Amino acid sequence: MNESDGKRRLPRYDEAALAYEHPLYKTLLAAPGLSVSVAPLDLLLSWGTMNSLWVFPMATSCCGIELMSAAASRVDLDRMGTIVRATPRQADVMVVAGTITVKMAPRVKLLWDQMPEPKWCIAMGSCAISGDFYRELYSVVPGIDTFLPVDVYIPGCPPNPEALMHGLLRLQEKVKLARAGQLVAKEYPPNRLDITKPSIARLSDPARDPALSAAQEKSAGEATATDESDERGGGNASAVEPFAAETTSTDVEALLRELGVTEFPKDGAPIVPVEQHVTLARRLRAMNYRIFVHVVATHFPEKTGAKAAPERFEVAYALRSVGSGSKIASWRLSLATGQAAPTLVGVFAGADWQEREQFDLVGVRFDGHPDLRRIMMPGNWEGHPLRKDYPADKACTPWR
Amino acid sequence: MNGLVHGAVYGGVIASVLLTTIAFGIWFERKFAGRMQSRLGPTIVGPFGLLQSVADVVKLLQKEDIVPRDADRPLFDLAPVLAALFSLGVAAVVPFSPTIIASDLDVGVLYILAVGGLMVIPTFMAGWASNNKFALIGGMRAIAQSVSYGVPLVLAVLVPVILSGTLSVSGIVTYQANHHWFLTWPVFIGVPAFAIYYMAMLAESNRIPFDIPEAESELVAGVTTEYTGAKFTLFYMAEYVHTLVGSAVGAALFLGGWDGPFAPGLHWMVLKTLVLFTVVYWVRWSLLRLRSDQLMVLCWKWLTPIGVLLVLGAAAWVQFVPGGFQ
Repeated sequence: MNESDGKRRLPRYDEAALAYEHPLYKTLLAAPGLSVSVAPLDLLLSWGTMNSLWVFPMATSCCGIELMSAAASRVDLDRMGTIVRATPRQADVMVVAGTITVKMAPRVKLLWDQMPEPKWCIAMGSCAISGDFYRELYSVVPGIDTFLPVDVYIPGCPPNPEALMHGLLRLQEKVKLARAGQLVAKEYPPNRLDITKPSIARLSDPARDPALSAAQEKSAGEATATDESDERGGGNASAVEPFAAETTSTDVEALLRELGVTEFPKDGAPIVPVEQHVTLARRLRAMNYRIFVHVVATHFPEKTGAKAAPERFEVAYALRSVGSGSKIASWRLSLATGQAAPTLVGVFAGADWQEREQFDLVGVRFDGHPDLRRIMMPGNWEGHPLRKDYPADKACTPWR
Repeated sequence: MNGLVHGAVYGGVIASVLLTTIAFGIWFERKFAGRMQSRLGPTIVGPFGLLQSVADVVKLLQKEDIVPRDADRPLFDLAPVLAALFSLGVAAVVPFSPTIIASDLDVGVLYILAVGGLMVIPTFMAGWASNNKFALIGGMRAIAQSVSYGVPLVLAVLVPVILSGTLSVSGIVTYQANHHWFLTWPVFIGVPAFAIYYMAMLAESNRIPFDIPEAESELVAGVTTEYTGAKFTLFYMAEYVHTLVGSAVGAALFLGGWDGPFAPGLHWMVLKTLVLFTVVYWVRWSLLRLRSDQLMVLCWKWLTPIGVLLVLGAAAWVQFVPGGFQ
């Protein structure tokens, strides 16, 4: 471990440190006179390792289905002694099958670290190799080799079970050659991937900054801790307000006119003044619109030129009435930059997480929300990804 | 002194043979499971995949030995060793032929119940010492389970003891050789008693449908979640040895042990043991896992009352049926 430059160089990323040897084996090598008998022992050891590669299934999407069917009757990985273990402590090969998101990556890293040496990693499918067509997405890691030392790449979308078996056979070959001390041709992802470079250097890249690996290590350790770190919006809407008296009226349009709405566009819901928002929701609830269907926020960036307009946010709400002849009532709020919408948590408890989601992804604030934290993105995320001005390949360190 | 040498030699030989049998027993199980699921099972390593378990052990012994930082180190290290010891220990009083027995204890049945019952201790030790939530839940379930299956197990084992009038396992087998196997006569006592014994044995060795402490789909790998390499190997072997020895005890107590025509006693004992061993896997790959509460309902509401009835029935049989007890 080289700590002279002040940065902790992680040994597990070091190519030389990857060749793990059992302490007993090292003792054997060191003992004088015994080392002559090592060659047949080596044969035995590599034979055992090759023929008993137990898989840890890191399956997140459709590749996982292929991984499952590879263990079933047509391909039957058990033929070559490969079984699936549910615990990382007893597995030898981590098969990453599926898209790995930025939020998932620390967990994958944690599970990888929990596997005992010697261990190998297989990137199964194009998402695990490079992120595939999600690679430019803000929340997807562009290839797991940006944080895991991948031994074998299995291209395909998804690769079929036979391809997985072929990958395992290649891994066997690699294990055998590595034990025999022969230099193994390094595995590289398909050349096509060089057309677009990943936004961070791969583990095998010699120019990679060791500080990045250290930051990933730290982030993996705090995978769950960071989720609580985001600010909370104050306010207390936990006490549900008393409902307005039930009415038999079903005329939503009359209600909207009463609340000061004059325009009823044909291609969308009417825009309601912000100050009338909660009143409208309560009146509608009294009119049997009891199901909170959704709240969706949209970002409209500033426009210049002939259609010049300042930046604004639109928040659309929809309610549904219960019973026969169910109807939907919907309306919009139009908010300027920095303007907050009054929360509906006091009227509909179901609005809680949905408003959090809109806050997380678009950045609209909800006044009086009891617990306004991020819900989808990691707690230490910067920015709001569904804003139009959010860069597509925004660097979210340390995973992108 | 003579007994000590006899015990050491026979015990050593029996233990070695058992462990070798286990290596091929695991291969056999994987082949068997494969055939049941229209697969092939191991085929590549050695002829017919016979060396699969050897490769597994060679690999497992090479793995890094991880002990969690907050684990209770002495307990964590001791648990797999105790598991292996206790599971092999039961074999000491099992007669594999009229002469092949490590120690012909007069209270052999008591010894079997005591040492077999101890198996829950290493299981719970492992669960506690790992300092892992899944392992701890697994250990807790193991305790709950042992309390449940212990009573019907004892009741079922009491039946051959009452019928033969001895606590010695070889005595029970000799009685069956002189009279009749308890499975065949009295059939209305022997068959249900054997069924109860078999179910309790499955529960004691944590086999499906009673593998509640392991429960892969709920608890990762249950009590063995944190174990790697050599220690996991010990646990893995102990589980299979326990199943094998449990089958041997069942064969001795209910199926007449080494008694049988045309062939030496050892052949019959091995045959009967392996048949029971195979049925364990047949059950394992056919049934689903019970929930903890379902197991308790089964043990307390059904097996225990039936066991009590069987013990009373056996006592009545001995007392009132002419020739029932010599």
